Amino acid sequence: MTPSAMPLNEPTSAPREDQPQYRPDLNRAPQGDFMRPSMRTRTRSNSKTNGVGVQVEDTRICVVMVGLPARGKSLIAQKVVRYLAWLSITAKCFNVGSYRRTNTPNPSASFFDVSNKEGERLRMAAAEAAVNDMCKWFRSPNNLIAILDATNSTKARRRWIKDRCDAEGIETLFVESKCDDEELIMSNIKEVKTTSPDYVGQDPEVAAQDFRERIRMYERVYETLDEDEADMTYCKIINVGSQVIINRIQDYLQSRVVYYLMNLHIKPRSIWISRHGESNYNLSGQIGGDADLSSRGQLYAKALPDLVSKSAGDRNLTVWTSTLKRTGQTARYLPYEKLSWKALDELDSGVCDGLTYAEIEKQYPQDFRARDEDKYNYRYLGGESYRDVVIRLEPIIMELERSENILIVTHQAVLRCIYAYFMGSDQERSPWMEVPLHCLIRLTPRAYGTQEERMFADVPAVSTWREKGSKAVHADTPTASAKASPMIKPQSKGEAIA
Amino acid sequence: MDTLLTADLAARSANFRRRSSTYVDAIHDLPEKESMAPAQLYSTESGRLFHSGRIVIATVGLPARGKTHTSVALARYLRWLGVKTHIFHLGDYRRAQIGSKDEVPDDYFFVNASTSSVLLRNKILRKCREDILNFLNHENGQIAIYDAVNPLAVGRRALAKEFEKHNVQTLFIESHCTDERIIEDNVRSVKISSPDYKGWQPEDAVQDYLNRINARIPHYETMEESELHYVKMINAGSRVVVNNCSFGYLSQRIVFYLLNLHIKSRQTYFCRAGTTSEEESYKADASLSDEGRDYMVKMSETLLAHREAERQSLIAHGAPESTALKPLTIWTSTRRRTVETSQYLEEKGYRVRQRSQMSQLNPGVCEKMSERKIRQMFPEEVSKHEQDPYHHRYPRAESYHDLAVRLEPIILELEREQNDLLIIAHESVLRVLYGYLMACSATDIPNLSFPRNEIIEIIPASYNNSAKRVHIPDLNPKLVPGSPEGIAMPVAPSGTGTPFSIGSPGTRTPESSSREASGGAVPLWRAAIGQSALQASFDAAKQTQTQNAELSPAQKSLAQNINSSPTSAPSSDVPALNVTTALSPLKETTPVLDITPASPPPKEDGAQQ
Repeated sequence: MTPSAMPLNEPTSAPREDQPQYRPDLNRAPQGDFMRPSMRTRTRSNSKTNGVGVQVEDTRICVVMVGLPARGKSLIAQKVVRYLAWLSITAKCFNVGSYRRTNTPNPSASFFDVSNKEGERLRMAAAEAAVNDMCKWFRSPNNLIAILDATNSTKARRRWIKDRCDAEGIETLFVESKCDDEELIMSNIKEVKTTSPDYVGQDPEVAAQDFRERIRMYERVYETLDEDEADMTYCKIINVGSQVIINRIQDYLQSRVVYYLMNLHIKPRSIWISRHGESNYNLSGQIGGDADLSSRGQLYAKALPDLVSKSAGDRNLTVWTSTLKRTGQTARYLPYEKLSWKALDELDSGVCDGLTYAEIEKQYPQDFRARDEDKYNYRYLGGESYRDVVIRLEPIIMELERSENILIVTHQAVLRCIYAYFMGSDQERSPWMEVPLHCLIRLTPRAYGTQEERMFADVPAVSTWREKGSKAVHADTPTASAKASPMIKPQSKGEAIA
Repeated sequence: MDTLLTADLAARSANFRRRSSTYVDAIHDLPEKESMAPAQLYSTESGRLFHSGRIVIATVGLPARGKTHTSVALARYLRWLGVKTHIFHLGDYRRAQIGSKDEVPDDYFFVNASTSSVLLRNKILRKCREDILNFLNHENGQIAIYDAVNPLAVGRRALAKEFEKHNVQTLFIESHCTDERIIEDNVRSVKISSPDYKGWQPEDAVQDYLNRINARIPHYETMEESELHYVKMINAGSRVVVNNCSFGYLSQRIVFYLLNLHIKSRQTYFCRAGTTSEEESYKADASLSDEGRDYMVKMSETLLAHREAERQSLIAHGAPESTALKPLTIWTSTRRRTVETSQYLEEKGYRVRQRSQMSQLNPGVCEKMSERKIRQMFPEEVSKHEQDPYHHRYPRAESYHDLAVRLEPIILELEREQNDLLIIAHESVLRVLYGYLMACSATDIPNLSFPRNEIIEIIPASYNNSAKRVHIPDLNPKLVPGSPEGIAMPVAPSGTGTPFSIGSPGTRTPESSSREASGGAVPLWRAAIGQSALQASFDAAKQTQTQNAELSPAQKSLAQNINSSPTSAPSSDVPALNVTTALSPLKETTPVLDITPASPPPKEDGAQQ
């Protein structure tokens, strides 16, 4: 932003009479995190006035994966990390395999034979290194959840991990993925494991063969979680959720993780998301409001059913909209069942509702800059921040994980948050992502990461995207796809980009 | 006459399940208009959530394993979610059919019972199941909770198959206990106060009860049927087995709720935030005024003194000198005034957490408008609001329903919380949370009143929570109603601890005035609202204070009635609480249905019989 664009000391920058007085530090009010460690109580005991009790935020949890290879452990671990990161809970995955790989990059199956003393020693060393790193990582007070991704197939190994964590004051939550369904296992092997770093450059058939051999090695010593470990906190998921055993859940955060795991399913499906069609406010450059669609927006609404059916075929979708008029109007012609959710409403811009970016800059210059500095945490005076939106979207995400094919018609900020969950984008960048109007995005969750595909309706619209630090005029761009930006790659219909 | 006779009368009526004889409380009254549920995700014409089918939740477990506690808590939560739910206690049907305890055949609970006992059992079962199906098929019911022992695998399979025929899913919830202490505690605290043991000595009752359980133990099979949907809760939830349960939205919600449900009792306190310098503005998010800070100090001191007094009374009742209360955690919203109101306690070392979900109801376009202006500008919206103050949403505003949906994650965390909890929040938020804890109907929630000079204490009990009000002395009377005159924001703005819920100030809805006319059947809430509504707003402050401090004769008699009714026996060891159970608004606002007499049953019923 150029200095000339900021008429800081001019009289026009003063708030209007009828506006509440501007207080620069208001957006620094507590953010109301989903979970945040309290620095104070970690460093200073408050037991004198308050006794001793369970303090949710003080808990640090090590989620220990348990299960034979090809049981989807890494998939679960990676999803949990992404989910927690999205909720601003710092989580990290420690993969024992990658520690082991530094010494034995391409081991054969016999390496995993229990009678192979050298293999056994190296594997223990890798586990030790991972646990040590994890304990070190937990010393930073912001770090709340670690995931130890390894087979952890014996009771002795699990007891060892629990003892190590107990000594550090870290809670353990064992998550076992147990599966007897041969078909499921084989499809998992084919899809994921043959592309595993252990088999780089090998013939896939040979790799799959060797991998099955490796699983057999583990099977010989594998001990499932049972009564002997009744003192441990664990969650045992049998055949992708057909039975779940939950033992000694201690606190809310643990139950949250367990609930999330229970909602996951592996049926193939896609999620389609779109912003509403161009609204009259988009045309005038105002934010917020509850405006009707412009005539071009209505054209988009009419074009949407075709656009959707080209991508979705004859799948039966459910449409979710917000409660604002423009999303309902956009979804009007879609031949599917529709639900309207208050939680999908646009970010509430408080006092700035109904203003243009130029007016905001004029009336609330400091706010305008503060928002550019930290857009994720900036809360509009009397309104919401992106962080607030994420918290209110959490039930939506849970329901999305549980559902199959869903089409969501919503708003720019909300769409960015949902997109950030599926793509794992960081909080620094996600509020700046460009989501053009009149564009349908299809997200398909895959084992590692989410596939994205964008389809444009051939209906022109204004661009509402404002670059960081820019003046933000809602410019009328001739076609939405003409402009390339880092976040968007226009491409021919149907072509997927990972 | 006693409960048993009325239960008998009721059971023979066509509409028996409308009112249970056993635990007459908010949960067991079936509101007429079920669409008025507090936190429904979305509404449909049938009143059912369409992406979830109809479900029978069948409890499994020997007596005294906490089945009823679980069913009641679950029903409260599901209703709050907007799911039409009703509980069917098989025991009620048995008592209704057989009468008092003495007439139950000795072998009634045996597997190898005599033919006559088996016939009797089947008759009772059939009646109960007919009622369940009627509820699901003809009354838009979505979840029926079938509270029975269901001890045998073969019986459970048959049950699931039978409901399957009617396109109803069956979800079993087993309460399994391996810890004898949990069972004995449960027998002592809950079972011997049930109508089965009316007039028995406690020791005899416990003994008889345990014998009855023992007689059944050889025939009890824990759930292992892998093809059925079930949740097995072992030792009050310390271990949970979830089998084949991912068949719908509701089944997953139920499981998550059960994971967080714990029976340990702890206190929840509600209080308001202090007043601010810009009371009428929602968007300003102003700081506390001087009076607001004064309130913060007095409120905090009152709460601490109250907690200390409770500790002393525990000691006086024989607890050891070193008895400590549960640690107190404070939740506030992220709004400035609630955060600042917690400062005094935070400085004393209490843990404070801010939750953005707990922000007040957003008034939308009506912010800072006078009631007259709102009426002028949005006459249609006002009339819609008057028809349904719970669900109606002013332009750009939130309805109470929206607020409840927003607060839903907080509710689960509330169930899980182990510490005592002080919630400092805006009145609209307190209404919704209180509505959940006390199982209020949606029609009542927008009218609940939380004057600033009171801290509300919610005391958990097995079936029905009770509430108690702690007076904060010496407050500036201006603080109590809080808001300047004339702000009759349709959604009761911050500070209106007053009657201006909607409608012109000083008038009551016909509904509430007619209730008042009927004398004792006015809940304290309503009475306070109705009375103070007649006052100008500043006078109303004092009036509210006195109304709540002193009970009118009618209210006293109501409280006594409840006190003397057998249904309140579970909490009768704490005398102060019985008065306050009358605070649950739903109890009195639900119309008395059909021939089932209101509780406590008047003498005439016996005479008629």
